[in-house]
Amino acid sequence: MQLITASNLGYSINENRLFHNLTFSLETGCGLHIKGGNGSGKSTLIRILLGLTSPSKGEVVFFKPNLNISYLGHKNAIKQYLTPLQNLELIFAPSELDDAMTWMQTFGLTKVQDEMTATLSFGQQKKLALIRVLGKSSDLIVLDEPFVGLDDLSRDLVSQFLCSRLADGTSLVLTSHIDPGIPCVELILSEQSND
Amino acid sequence: MINLLTHEAFKLRHRLRAWLGPLLIMVLVLIAFPLSIDVSQYDLNKFYFSIIVVSLLVISFLATESIFSEDYEDGSLEQIYLEEKDFYKVVLTKISIYIFFIGIPMSLIGSLFSFANGVAADETPKIFVILTFSTLILFNIFSFGSALSINKGAMLGVLVSLPLALPVIVLLGRAIRTVQYGEGFIEVLSLLAGVGLILAAVMPIIISATLKTHLE
Amino acid sequence: MITSFIHRFSSPKSFVEVTARFFSYVMYLGLFLLATGWIWGLAFAPEDAIQGNSYRIIFLHVPASIFAQLIYFFMAVCALMHLVWRVKLAAYLIKSSAPVGALITFIALFSGSIWGIPTWGTWWQWDARITSTLILFIMYLGIITLHSSFSNAEKADRLMSILVVVGVVNIPIIKKSVDWWSTLHQPASITISEAPSIDLSMLYPLLISISGMGLTLIALGILISKLYIITREKTKKWVQNYV
Repeated sequence: MQLITASNLGYSINENRLFHNLTFSLETGCGLHIKGGNGSGKSTLIRILLGLTSPSKGEVVFFKPNLNISYLGHKNAIKQYLTPLQNLELIFAPSELDDAMTWMQTFGLTKVQDEMTATLSFGQQKKLALIRVLGKSSDLIVLDEPFVGLDDLSRDLVSQFLCSRLADGTSLVLTSHIDPGIPCVELILSEQSND
Repeated sequence: MINLLTHEAFKLRHRLRAWLGPLLIMVLVLIAFPLSIDVSQYDLNKFYFSIIVVSLLVISFLATESIFSEDYEDGSLEQIYLEEKDFYKVVLTKISIYIFFIGIPMSLIGSLFSFANGVAADETPKIFVILTFSTLILFNIFSFGSALSINKGAMLGVLVSLPLALPVIVLLGRAIRTVQYGEGFIEVLSLLAGVGLILAAVMPIIISATLKTHLE
Repeated sequence: MITSFIHRFSSPKSFVEVTARFFSYVMYLGLFLLATGWIWGLAFAPEDAIQGNSYRIIFLHVPASIFAQLIYFFMAVCALMHLVWRVKLAAYLIKSSAPVGALITFIALFSGSIWGIPTWGTWWQWDARITSTLILFIMYLGIITLHSSFSNAEKADRLMSILVVVGVVNIPIIKKSVDWWSTLHQPASITISEAPSIDLSMLYPLLISISGMGLTLIALGILISKLYIITREKTKKWVQNYV
């Protein structure tokens, strides 16, 4: 079953073309791995899929209304001045908090759960941020470079989890320079000239 | 909505610098002013209001400076947008929380200081009401300025919101004079309240459009 | 219907082409009228009974003050067009008019100051009109700064339009409030708003200066917006052909 189709997508900033004529579709339970060099427009494409940015040309069609999306971008969206536990309380409803706490344990964050998030290491903060996506059920998971800063163990954990979610019928869109080890369709954004 | 309120209140309470800071600066300014002039020469109870009005202006600006930028910079704003889609509620909540935690205490400080500087006890509540409605207006205006200049800092914020705030200062000065001279208070107060409530309803629409543009 | 109409006649390309056709007429006529108005006003118009020769600065001051506001209203119309119909040209026009507006507002303030020294004995008064012009000047600066502080020009266009629209609502409020405030302190003797009725021998050169300055400013605006359009759309084919 199709979840999203994008037809003839194009985006330009200040009349400089980032990409154009992108056509692809995403089925439920499938993954899409967006690849491309730095500045090729991966993050922009993700933001277009999320509906944050509107494309300069073309359109994105969602086949399921009120699609439930979890997303994590470059910015972690966690509060430095709160503890990890307080952060999770902001993100999750009380009923969902148990799942999130399980992830805290899996990632070994329980021992720092009452310290200021600002004192956590880069990788720990990234893991904390990822719990936002991992601990919720959703129709579509969108991740922008989720593996940056993660150690091998955590990376495998995240990959395994994403694989199991794919099997459950959740769709996945991600960008990553590291091979995610997840069955994905690849979409390559190449540098394009302006002609 | 209640969820949103508690969340925003929770976040602001944990950012001492953002809510206690402006209040402390206000107290400092109000103490420093009489020290800087020759108190024996001036009639302080006539004079003092001007510094309350100006500090209200400056502190309102300071207090709202990071109202959206904090969420914008760490990426929370786009997460909120993905969940909520309707920024109007979010903006309304944020401004209300800021007014509750900073604006109203600020008005209280202002009216207490005016009482300490010679305003009669039965007129101090009038000052408090005037100051509260003024902070309602100023917070909405400066939140707009802060939303426009979200990642560009204070200079741009001042430039874009000062022209909007100056008429408020005129109105506020007028309102305080009605307390001093003892007539026309209700008229000016209803004008202040009317402007405040209209702005409180309309500004969040404009601010959410601004924030959406920033997220693109 | 209306949308397609607006879009057809508002492409930056047709703007550049159409304005190129009458640009030189506008400019020469404007400069000619301005020169006529000023020479007439400075050399031939009679001396003012009270103010002597110093009043002659009105041939600069009055047109400047008029256009300081008119340009803002023009920008507000453009801003609405940009926000409602997403007309790109409208944003280009705002962006190009803002510096012109700031310049002319500055001239109005500055010439007013110069006039103030012989007439009121001071170069600055917290008069209602001067104050609202000063605030207008700050608004122009805000608009210019806002646009130039974003690297994504389309974002900047939209934000600038929002600010311009909010500002145009604010203009009457500013006027009303400063009137209210200044009439409370000051005797009306030093407001310039109630100038005594003007003699025809002064009115004609004044009207000529006003229309001359209007046309000159339009020409200047066309020139700046053309340059701006070409920089903004430099990757488009028609610009490459045009240049």
